[in-house]
Amino acid sequence: MTKITVNGRELEVDASKPLIAACDTAGIDVPRYCYHPGLEPVGSCRICQVEVSEGGRPPRVMAACRTQVSEGMVVNTEAAVAHDARRECLEFLLKNHPLDCPICDKAGECTLQDYSFQEQQAAGRSTEPRATLEKRVDLGEVIMLDQERCILCTRCVRFQEEVTKKPELTNAGLASNSYITTFAGRPLTGNYQGNLADVCPVGALTLKPFRFEARVWNLEKSSSTCAECSRGCSISVEVLRRGDVKRIRPVFNPDVNQWWMCDTGRFSFPKVNDAERLTGGLIASGDDLMGVTTGEAIRHAATVLTGTSKSALFASPFLTVEEAAEVKILGDSMGADLLFISPAANDLKDDLLHTGDPCPNRKGLEQAGFRAISAADAATMITGLDAAVLVGERILKLFAGHNLGTSKLVTFDTSACLASGVEACIAIPFYVEKAGTWINVDGNVGLLTIARPAPASVAPLERTLGELTTAMARSGAGV
Amino acid sequence: MSGFETYLTSRMTGPDSHTLASYKKHGGYVALERALKEMQPAEVTESVKASGLRGRGGAGFPTGLKWTFMPDPAKDPRSRYLAINADESEPGTCKDRVIMDEDPHGLLEGILLACYAMKCEASYIYVRGEYRHQYDRTVAALEEARAAGLVGKNILGSGFDCEIYMHKGAGAYICGEETGMMESLEGKRGHPRPKPPFPAGFGLWGQPTTVNNVETIFNVPFIVDKGPEWYRSMGVESSPGNFLVGISGNVNKPGVYEAPLGTNAKVLLEADHFAGGMTEGRKLKAWFTGGSSTGMMPGETVDVGMDHDSVKAAGTMLGTAAMIMLDDTQCVVRAMQIIARFYDHETCGQCSQCREGCQWLHQIFKRIEEGQGRDGDIDLLTSIGNGMAPGKTICALADAAAIPAHLMVKHFRADLEEHIRDGGCKINKTGKCAAGHSHKAPATEKAEAQA
Repeated sequence: MTKITVNGRELEVDASKPLIAACDTAGIDVPRYCYHPGLEPVGSCRICQVEVSEGGRPPRVMAACRTQVSEGMVVNTEAAVAHDARRECLEFLLKNHPLDCPICDKAGECTLQDYSFQEQQAAGRSTEPRATLEKRVDLGEVIMLDQERCILCTRCVRFQEEVTKKPELTNAGLASNSYITTFAGRPLTGNYQGNLADVCPVGALTLKPFRFEARVWNLEKSSSTCAECSRGCSISVEVLRRGDVKRIRPVFNPDVNQWWMCDTGRFSFPKVNDAERLTGGLIASGDDLMGVTTGEAIRHAATVLTGTSKSALFASPFLTVEEAAEVKILGDSMGADLLFISPAANDLKDDLLHTGDPCPNRKGLEQAGFRAISAADAATMITGLDAAVLVGERILKLFAGHNLGTSKLVTFDTSACLASGVEACIAIPFYVEKAGTWINVDGNVGLLTIARPAPASVAPLERTLGELTTAMARSGAGV
Repeated sequence: MSGFETYLTSRMTGPDSHTLASYKKHGGYVALERALKEMQPAEVTESVKASGLRGRGGAGFPTGLKWTFMPDPAKDPRSRYLAINADESEPGTCKDRVIMDEDPHGLLEGILLACYAMKCEASYIYVRGEYRHQYDRTVAALEEARAAGLVGKNILGSGFDCEIYMHKGAGAYICGEETGMMESLEGKRGHPRPKPPFPAGFGLWGQPTTVNNVETIFNVPFIVDKGPEWYRSMGVESSPGNFLVGISGNVNKPGVYEAPLGTNAKVLLEADHFAGGMTEGRKLKAWFTGGSSTGMMPGETVDVGMDHDSVKAAGTMLGTAAMIMLDDTQCVVRAMQIIARFYDHETCGQCSQCREGCQWLHQIFKRIEEGQGRDGDIDLLTSIGNGMAPGKTICALADAAAIPAHLMVKHFRADLEEHIRDGGCKINKTGKCAAGHSHKAPATEKAEAQA
């Protein structure tokens, strides 16, 4: 460890990291465009200039991302000369920038805006015509490039080279005619393209599914955990006006996903924006299902289940640890084995994050005493039973295509099931609408928070399950 | 004829001066043979250090000292390289071209001596893309030398191995910056690397590397052959030896001349054995001391010794000693605009200030030249220059672009003000310069042609 002084504070810092990282650890914000803690520093944008004095020599303005810390170094990030240097730099960066913030998806979370405000660099002196470049370069399924907004920080180029190890982007052209492009104009490939929009500090790389969908200041952001595989990346779930989830982005988690996430997880949000979702209860009525209150559906389910001798219970791999505890109580009261449906590994597994196992809480369920079973085996079991309870998000999808015979079904899911034996369907919240815990493949805890309230008629699963347990006890006791 | 000893051009005597036979006739490869047989590598370095040889690529860094920055091979077993910067692209500069054309074996011998001194296993010569003839000459010399056992394994039976590779650039000025050149040699875009780490620790392919200019290395065999004392007898105390000075512009005899460092620029301009005076005896309006990056100085300042420290004291740099002389029929604003256009075209575009600043400077000079200058433009030029340099970017290209702009404002403010006030250039308005060349702005010329 090396002792340095930053803004009058004495710090002990890791000498293997650049000065800007030392400032980060101490919570001292230094502006940056080309520097990203997950990428090799190149020192090209020059916005991170701070005043540095080494070995008693007179202070100099230096780029913090390429400055190695040394014992006794004295740093002032707020020196007038440092502010001047950063203002100069901003004026240059904005010289050819189109300033189309009103139609830019990045506006509101753009560091060109933030640092201009912070450094009070309100107006540039250039009256020269601004460069006109391509504003809509389609880089494949995920990313749209606006070359005019680009400040050539090359974070995207380095992300491809260093993180995905698939160098697909480059800067071409010379000087002020430089631009970012893919090799031979080919579309980007791979499952990590969305991160390019995250690393882009300006509005040059935007996500096609998010373009013109929302102003970012209208998004309510909650930290949560990704549901798409057993990695359980830390994410920010971003909801527009208590309605649809508009965007999912990774949140830095050094133990799990660093700064990144895969596109499978990032673009999974339409699954929780289902307009056709179940918002109450359904019970069998003749050949059809009839809408009822959740309470009525639970009472009906209790009657059905207490009236059968052979019944079982199947949990979804999306259950939280807390929900699993409640399912266990119900299972014990039914005398059923604790089983959860384990879908087969998919081919999305890679070397970076995706585990290929689509069960976000496999470890949590196993630790709670649940045993994995394939949907096919479960379906075979169900055909030999009188009744079965299917509990948890996406459980009906997991049984899609399997013949469940004629046994009576009680389902707890976000949607309903029209299979012949369905007796009662009870609505549950999506994972973005509940608090809870998942345990990932490495045993790290992933927390879910309520990013959006569930509809008033949709109660938490713990509560509906509890009510069913109670109702069954009453029914069985003939109350 | 000239009253001083010449050595750099001493072998450039006839049409076959580039051949091994001619080179050997003039005592070529004797220094190499003696060094391999009689000298330890450290002695060669010491000799170069004692000679006081300073780099001829522009910065004037002491060559021997640079060589000592290479890590000790006993402690650092990595491969070691010497890279030769033959990407001579500084506007006005054409001295390395003469060496590769006329005396490529001198360069090769210098390389072998330097590699022996620094224990480098290989050397790479990065030749400017446009230098096709010079490239071919050097390749031919290399083949001759290889056939004669002077390059490759066990050179002259001494057990010393050294390979030399040639590489052609693709015409980018920035690849003349040493780290940009190394990136280019590695097959990447020629974007200069941030320093530290310096090439001696992390150079080509991450190995210890020294980068030297062609003319610098060309001096080495002479130093090894005749000794540092002899070398120090020429030039001035702080900059010993002779140098190749390229004189161009409105002079009677433009060309590359050998002169001792410290020779007065006025002598170089006026003496008959040098440039022979200004064309038609006209007045020197402005001059570049050593390539475009050193900026324009007023004609009155030409009475200065051409060595690193004297030119620095006069307010600019010796650079590559490429003097460009402009007479009073030339428009300095137009000349500046051309220089600014060059940097706008050639900045690599990595650093924000340089990429945008070079373009901005060019745009403003162009406007002023075309009669669209505004009050405040001159102060803005200074302010932009201050935003770009010194030392605010990864490499010195931003400095190279800012210095000419600063000197322009400092020395030729009146010309800029006149252009802004009169809505353009007087010389342009009369249409032609004394030489009969059109000095109209290209846009005006194009518009007139269309009309």
